[in-house]
Amino acid sequence: MSVLDIAGISKRYTEDGPQVLKDVSFRAEKNEFVTIVGPSGCGKSTLFNIVAGLLPPSRGEVRLDGEVVTGTTTPHIGYVLQKDLLFPWLTVLDNVGLGLEIQGMRRREARERARSIFAAYNLEGYEDKYPSALSGGMRQRAALMRTLVTDPDVILMDEAYKALDYPLKIQLESELLETVRERGKTVVFVTHDIEEAVTLSDRVYVLKARPGEVVNEIPISLTTDSTRIDQRRLASEFNDYYEAIWTSIGRAPLAA
Amino acid sequence: MTALDVADDLAVAAPSTAARRRAMSYRTLLIALQAGIAVALVAAWEIGASTGAVNTFLFSSPSRVGQVIVERWQSGDLVLDVGTTALEVALGFVIGAVGGSVIGLLLWYSKFVADLSAPFIAAIGSIPVLAIAPMTIIWFGTGLESKIVIVAFSCVVVSLTTSYRGARMADQDLLNLVRSFGGNRGTAFRRVVVPASMTWVVQALKLNVGFAIVGAIVGEYISSNAGIGHMILLGSSNFSVNIVLAGLALVMVTVLVFTLIVSGIEHIVLRWEK
Repeated sequence: MSVLDIAGISKRYTEDGPQVLKDVSFRAEKNEFVTIVGPSGCGKSTLFNIVAGLLPPSRGEVRLDGEVVTGTTTPHIGYVLQKDLLFPWLTVLDNVGLGLEIQGMRRREARERARSIFAAYNLEGYEDKYPSALSGGMRQRAALMRTLVTDPDVILMDEAYKALDYPLKIQLESELLETVRERGKTVVFVTHDIEEAVTLSDRVYVLKARPGEVVNEIPISLTTDSTRIDQRRLASEFNDYYEAIWTSIGRAPLAA
Repeated sequence: MTALDVADDLAVAAPSTAARRRAMSYRTLLIALQAGIAVALVAAWEIGASTGAVNTFLFSSPSRVGQVIVERWQSGDLVLDVGTTALEVALGFVIGAVGGSVIGLLLWYSKFVADLSAPFIAAIGSIPVLAIAPMTIIWFGTGLESKIVIVAFSCVVVSLTTSYRGARMADQDLLNLVRSFGGNRGTAFRRVVVPASMTWVVQALKLNVGFAIVGAIVGEYISSNAGIGHMILLGSSNFSVNIVLAGLALVMVTVLVFTLIVSGIEHIVLRWEK
């Protein structure tokens, strides 16, 4: 049984409105890194919100360990966006502990738990600062910590590293891979970046746009075992996977 | 930490101490100049009055104004007048400005109620305080209550509409984040809407210090037996410019004190903004 099973999701925002998602199905196994890749307009963010339980689909089901959780949020699914969504009025420590507190943990306990992971994510010494004192990369790290500290089974990430410059993105993605492998997390990553999809994933689902529809499922297996993105990028199969995804998106080879 | 990390961290280097010192000395210079200008104006006024260049019957003089304040302090009138006005302002402000802010924030819960009530709130806001003040004297008497009502009336609409606008502008993604952690609307209100609106709420509070004082003085003009407005009214009906100007000075000091209190609140509530 898959940890996360998305079955036949369709979505129209209004009854006679355009179809945003058409019969989208995918699954993610335990410890698996699954990426949904597609061009803009393929309904990635809508799909993301449906999986997160923030938006009801018009049809279809979201199942978590076989249990239907469609349209409801659950502590088993964590959520990281491109915008880091740190609360500017909370210290970094309270931001990291926010999810725990909302889930009902006492503030003191939440702080203690949050504090214990700062060293592991290179943010030690920033506990009592406000997010405005952090750089973009540090903020995105804090956002990931806020989700990880609640220990969800599945982490949804929507173009989480899109706004960062390239070396920093490579750095944070390497850290991400290492973390989710170490802690045995399932990740569903949403992006339009094919390179990102190949280097991060165990499996890629390709969506086409208008309506968003799964057109291909591509298992990825790189010869390297490294969690370092720059190493993974150099794996010899990279180009084949890149091309497979590129053609699935439905683009003709570009004219020279 | 790798080299990449360090580059990332350097992006938020603190402002240099030299830059901070430059900013400090600029502030010191500004305050010194401002104090100098104030002292010079008062001195020119006093010298003009003593040499006869300024008509003291019409324009009084700093020493005469000071004398009035000392005399009224000794007789206890000063404490009574300032105390009365301060009490009216404080209570009316809490009911009107703070109460209005709370209602404005709570309207976030129902866009329907907010939209429904919008024209009525606008209608109330369109009434000049000077026009409604005589009615409140009829309804609530000539004592403290009517002034508190006038002060509250002067503040409530600005605070209500401003804080509602702030609440509406709360980031939808932050609200979704709270939901994704399983928070309900109450949690979202407490954790996102209220803190996110504080900038707006505080701005309205600052504006309302002025409106509150105007309300209290207007109320006292219409009917009162104590208060700074009462003192100014008595002074002008006796052609005592000394007392009127002393009253104005007391109004300024009262506004200053309330502004400092609100700034203190701002400093605590918005400490994350810097």
